[in-house]
Parts: sequence; structure tokens; C-alpha cells
Amino acid sequence: MAKISCSFPVNRVEGDLTLQIDFENDTVTQARSVGTLYRGFEKIMRGRGALDGLVITPRICGICSLSHLAAASAALDNLCKTTPPDNALRIKNITGMMEMIQSDIRQSVLMFMPDFVNQAYSSNPLYIEAVKRYSPLRGARCVSAVKNTATIVEIIAILGGQWPHTSFMVPGGVTNIPTIHDIVQCRHLIVRCMKSYEEQILGCSVERFNNISTKQELDEWLSSSQEHSESDMGFLIRFGRSIGLDTIGNSYGNFLSYGAFDIPSDSDVSPRHGREKLIRSGYAEGTNVTEFDQSYIAEAISHSWFNGYEGAKHPFDGMTEPEASGEDGKKYSWVKAPRYNDKPVETGPLAQMVINGIPLFTELIKTEGSSALTRQMARLARPAKLFPKALAWIDEMAKLLGSSQFYIPYGEIKNGRGMGLTDAARGALGHWIIVEDKTIMKYQIITPTAWNGSPRDDAGMPGAWEKALEGIRVADTDNPIEIGHIIRSFDPCLVCAVHRLDSGKKIFIC
Amino acid sequence: MKNVYWLHCGGCDGDSVSLLNLDKPNLVDIFVDLEINPLYHPSLSIKSHKEQHELLESLQDGTIPLDILVVEGNILKGPASTGMFDLKFGVPKKNILVALSKRAQYIIALGTCASFGGIGVGSETQATGIQFTRKEKGGLLGADYVSGGGLPVINLPGCPCHPEIFTSILAMLNSGIEIELDEYNRPLAWYGMMVHQGCTRNEYHEYRVEENDFGEKGCLFFHLGCHGPLTGGSCNKLLWSKRSSKPRVGVPCFGCNNPDFPQEYPFFDTKNIEGIPIALPNGISRAQYMAYKGMAAAAAPLRLKKRQTRI
Repeated sequence: MAKISCSFPVNRVEGDLTLQIDFENDTVTQARSVGTLYRGFEKIMRGRGALDGLVITPRICGICSLSHLAAASAALDNLCKTTPPDNALRIKNITGMMEMIQSDIRQSVLMFMPDFVNQAYSSNPLYIEAVKRYSPLRGARCVSAVKNTATIVEIIAILGGQWPHTSFMVPGGVTNIPTIHDIVQCRHLIVRCMKSYEEQILGCSVERFNNISTKQELDEWLSSSQEHSESDMGFLIRFGRSIGLDTIGNSYGNFLSYGAFDIPSDSDVSPRHGREKLIRSGYAEGTNVTEFDQSYIAEAISHSWFNGYEGAKHPFDGMTEPEASGEDGKKYSWVKAPRYNDKPVETGPLAQMVINGIPLFTELIKTEGSSALTRQMARLARPAKLFPKALAWIDEMAKLLGSSQFYIPYGEIKNGRGMGLTDAARGALGHWIIVEDKTIMKYQIITPTAWNGSPRDDAGMPGAWEKALEGIRVADTDNPIEIGHIIRSFDPCLVCAVHRLDSGKKIFIC
Repeated sequence: MKNVYWLHCGGCDGDSVSLLNLDKPNLVDIFVDLEINPLYHPSLSIKSHKEQHELLESLQDGTIPLDILVVEGNILKGPASTGMFDLKFGVPKKNILVALSKRAQYIIALGTCASFGGIGVGSETQATGIQFTRKEKGGLLGADYVSGGGLPVINLPGCPCHPEIFTSILAMLNSGIEIELDEYNRPLAWYGMMVHQGCTRNEYHEYRVEENDFGEKGCLFFHLGCHGPLTGGSCNKLLWSKRSSKPRVGVPCFGCNNPDFPQEYPFFDTKNIEGIPIALPNGISRAQYMAYKGMAAAAAPLRLKKRQTRI
């Protein structure tokens, strides 16, 4: 039996990622996820002004900059005990949803689907069509996605000044006072973007797609019209099934969401179960959903290049002290290992679908598990859930504009601690801040990719995508496309995994 | 066809993401029109790791000509100057950059981190820009470096860099149009005007109607830390996504085009003496500025004092 170890750098993710894979013959026995960059943001934050997280932390990530701003401002709201006024919530929600939508479309069409153009599939009957559609910067669908997502970003620029890297969310609300011109322009653009999404990505209306509640109905939808089967969603399903993406990529089946988008008190967009957020928070094992309890969050460092403690610590008690030594072979990553009630979890659009009880994805999890295809479909289907709500909120804002407030003064930043939990495009994102004398004493961040791309913990349990790779057969280690599909189905964002640093071990490139 | 190779170092990818925000013409149109051949981009290319490795070797030994090298993110020299905080194929990226700099016709530092070091200068990461560390010349390649085409590293700061500046520079390099640079090697065409110009709050600024807190229409320069009058840049002329800018929506300019971004003192606060900012627009005498601002405040119309005029 041939045992070999390989390291694969993975591109088309945000940032750099290397996977160290052990094979027996052509089957993965163990996978280790190694970041190759350390940026040290948490240490940079120490000693800075109390509000500086609003400027520095969005710059952690070029693709989910606004989610970091939302988490940073929510942590300060929590510390100052302020609640943004209703229209400030609408602006935060609309811009946050637009960031999610551009990310979902760009990641799917510009990063995930171009794998279908890989040489490994040159004999697949759908290959020529895949090349026409998804060749980088040339394929027809890639070009459409570049065009349409630029329009989505215009909405954030109108309401927030620019994207990425703005700071219009502050404790107590937002800095902007939009005019009726701004609101009307945003409405035009949201409608236009939703129509493009319907035409290109779904091949039908969002209502039609949202009505699909079983796998059988999905199959009926797929075969019932050419528009459906030739849409990006249709092609993802057809090509994905043809190469078995519905059978690989299962992780533990543990899902986490912090929830997102606070519902304004005066809004007709009401939560279905009396909940406060449009996307509810929760934890699920399989499809068994329980209430989210933030006290269960803890970070272990047993396999990460940090020192200072053993076991796992809640972020308020945690530390970030890089330790560039310890060549005992156990530590291999500068991503810490976050755990929920001691369990490794996955987070992202699929977790949201399961926790929110969306019937189609609940059934797919029950029947196929969290496959790479189901995970990617959840991402591409999420805008269908968000667009109608964004439209409802922009209409409410147009009516309420004259009498509304966007900011309530927070006074002074007092000593204390605050946490800001939200779901970014890639899943659960948390900021924890401790302030003394208007100065940041501690700033801890756990990003979605830290959850999904976590290394092993004290019990030796692999992180979510490490687990998802175990048992995968790789036909050609020079072109490990199977690994690429699974990893990209998690939509990794390695610039975001702020702790990371390469182990410094000698890397063997296959 | 011009070959362009992207090297992402210690950054957030925000400059690349920002390029995707271009519209009419978009990034794809521009690459086609300028006959740009993107050899490799880490977020968009489909090259396998083996093909990437071979490409990098061919660029380093000169088999494939490197017309333009685009670098995004800061160069991490740490820990202990080994460069091991940021690797590609097991090699420190700083070493790859040095090797490619000997082959490149032109190098573009895309964004403040690549230009001046940005976030992380002075930390354990030993972050630096390619040819500057903050205001100090040198950086990774040294003060005297010139690329094959005879220019130093072209710095296009901004966090992120405005995408239209980048594509304009590509077009200029393509046609051999001369690029005039300032003391920090930034093209004067975009960094030779102030961010303040074009801000919709300028009438409030003119009459010293200044805000102490968020959520109002007045100027942010005196108390809320706006760097608009102190920063070279064209944000309020080009606008972001052709729509708006941070100061227009009440967010102070943080001076992200400046070599010393991010500042060490707190954001959202203006250091001042008797209510007048310590840092004044370039070339202004303090006494004259105080007299001018005193008279301007006295002349301020009621409609501005009452924040009735829209922005």
C-alpha cells in the first residue's frame, strides 16, 4: 500500500491556503489545513482608540469588509448599551444583504464553477458548455457575473460611501442621512439586480425557486424548462451531479449560525417565529436545531502556533500570543480551533438554511448529508431569500424618510466589554472587545473560516473541512480537483483567518 | 499583448475585489481593449499548482517576459527578517518579489499596503511596502530600484486603490504615455488634488459649520478626524462605483492614501488647539487660517447653522 504526503496550495480562495494531505494509494486518510500568512490584527488593535475597530477591522477582509464593520459596531453597541434606530437597521441590513449577494454570486461563478473547466473533465459531455460559460474572465457567465455584481456594489456605495472598506456603521446607528434620491436610486438598482439574478442565476422568479421544498420538486423544476436547466443554478446541479459532487464533501453535520439582520420594530417584514433577526441564530446537529448560546464558544490552541493556555477559552478570556517554535510536529496552523460546546462545526449559507428550517435543504441534509453540491447550492440560492426583504425594507424607508432618525448619540465610551455577533457571507463572525479608559485592552475575532478551516483541537478532532476531505479519492495528485471542489464549497476566506501563520515546516509540493 | 502577473502578499485582497466593481467599462472589457494577458491572478486563475509553479519559474528565468508585475498587500519580512510569515510554494514571498523585480518592465504597488506597508508596519510581522516603509524610502527593493522600463515602483495607494486609477495606469503603460510621479512615487494626475475637493459638505466647511458628533450635515474636519483637506486623492472626483464617497455619507476621510496610514492616534478625533486643528491644509499660515475661519464662522448663514441646506 503506497503512503504519501503532499502539500497543495489552493488558489481561487480569498488569500492563501495550503493543505497537507496524507494518502493511502489514492485515498485521503488525513488532511491538515495550513494557512501561509500571519497578519496579527488582534495584537495591532491593542492600545488603539476605542472606536478604531470601525476603521481597522473592515480592512481584515476585502470581500466581507462590511460584515466586520457590522460586528465591530455591534460590539460597541453592546458595550454602550445603545440600540440603532429602525431606519439605521434598515440601512445596515440592506447593505449587509448586498455584500452577501455579491459574494455569493462572485464566489459561485468566478471561483467555484471555473473548476468545471478543469482538464480532468475534458471528456464530460457538458465540458464544452462549461468552457463557454465559466472560463476565467472570458466565459459568458463570468462576464455577466462581473457586470451584475458591480451594480450590486453601487447600492452599498450610495448608502455607505464606498465598498469595500467603509465605516458608516457606528455605535448608535449609521452616519448617513440618505435623501429620497438615494433611496429611489437604490430601489432601481435592487430591482435591476434581482431581475438579473432571476434571469441568469435561477432562470425563473425568486418566488418560483423559493417554492421548491423537496428534492423531487427540485428535479421537476430542473427538467420542466430550458431556462431552468440552462441557468447557473441548473448547470451547477447538472454538472455537479455528473461528477458526483452530491456524494462527496460531507463533514460532521454540525451547523452554527449567529443569525443576521435585526428586524426594525416598525417593520412589516416580520420574523416567522417571533425572532428578532431575519436569519435566526442556532446550532444544529443534522437537522435537529437548538437555541444558540454564545457561552458555548471557545477557542483551543493545542495544534495552533500560540501559547499561553491549555484547553479552550471563551474569547473574552482568550489570548493571541504567537509562538514561533515548538517543532514537535503537533502544532501546524496559526488558525486557532474554535469549538461550540466542544464540537467542531461548519458555518455558512447551508448552516443558515438548515437552522432556519428551509424545507429543500433540510431534506437534502437528511438524504444526502452536507455534500459539496448541497453546500454550493445553498450559497447560490441565498440571494433568492434576501432580495425580496431588501426591496420591502427600501420601500418602508422611502415612506418613513421624512420623520426618521439614523443615529442616536452614544455619549462616551465607558469601560467595559462588548460582543458583536453576526453572520457574514461565509458564516458566523464574532468580535469581542474590552475597553478601559477609551482604549482597547483586548480585541478577539473569530471568523467564519476559522470555524470551517479549523485545525485539530485538544481531543484531536479535525476541523470541518479537514473532516470533509477524509476518505476522498483523488485520481491525479498533480491535479487534485476533487479536493478543490470540497474546499471551495466552504468558500474559504484565508485573509480573514486573522491568526494564521505558516508552520515553517518544509513543504513538499507534489 | 502585455503579460501581467499578480502577486498577493500580506493583504486583504480588497484592491482586487475593488477591480471587480468597475463598470462601463468593466474589468473584462478593459483587459480585452488593452490586450492585457493576465498570466495569473490568485482569485481568478484556474491554473493547477503545478502550472503555477512552472509559470513562476519561467518568469524568474526570463523565458516568459514579465511586462507588468502587480503587487497587492504588504511585504512581511518577519519573523526575524526570514519572511516566513508569508510563503508561496514554501518560499518567502519577499524573495519571489526580489527575483521578479529583476525581470519586470514595470511594477505597480496596488494599494497602501504594497506602496507604504500600511497596516502592520512596526508590528512583529515587520511589514513594509515595496519601495517605501511609510514615508521612508527603501522598503524591500531599496531607494534606488528602477524596473526594466526605467521607472521606480509606481505607487497607487488607497485602501483600496480606486480601480479607475489602476486601469488608467495600465492604459498609460500600454501606450508609453509618461507618468508624472510625486515625492512618494504616486501619479500626480490622481494624487495631486485633495480628497476634500468635491465633497458635498464643502459649503459647511467654507463657513466653519463643524460637527461634534455623527449623523449631521456639517463638516467633519475640525472635530471628527476628517483628513480630506490633508490628503492627496481624487475620491470625491471619481467617486466610488461612480456614486459616492465616505465623507459624503458622514464618514471622515481616514487619509488612507497617505504613507503614514493608519495613524497611530485614535480615529474619529481631530487633535486641536483652541478648537482649530493642529494639522492644517498644506502651505497655510496658522494665524491667517484662524482669522479666516473666525470671519467665515461669523459670516455663516442661518440656513447652514440650522443644517437646513442639504448635502
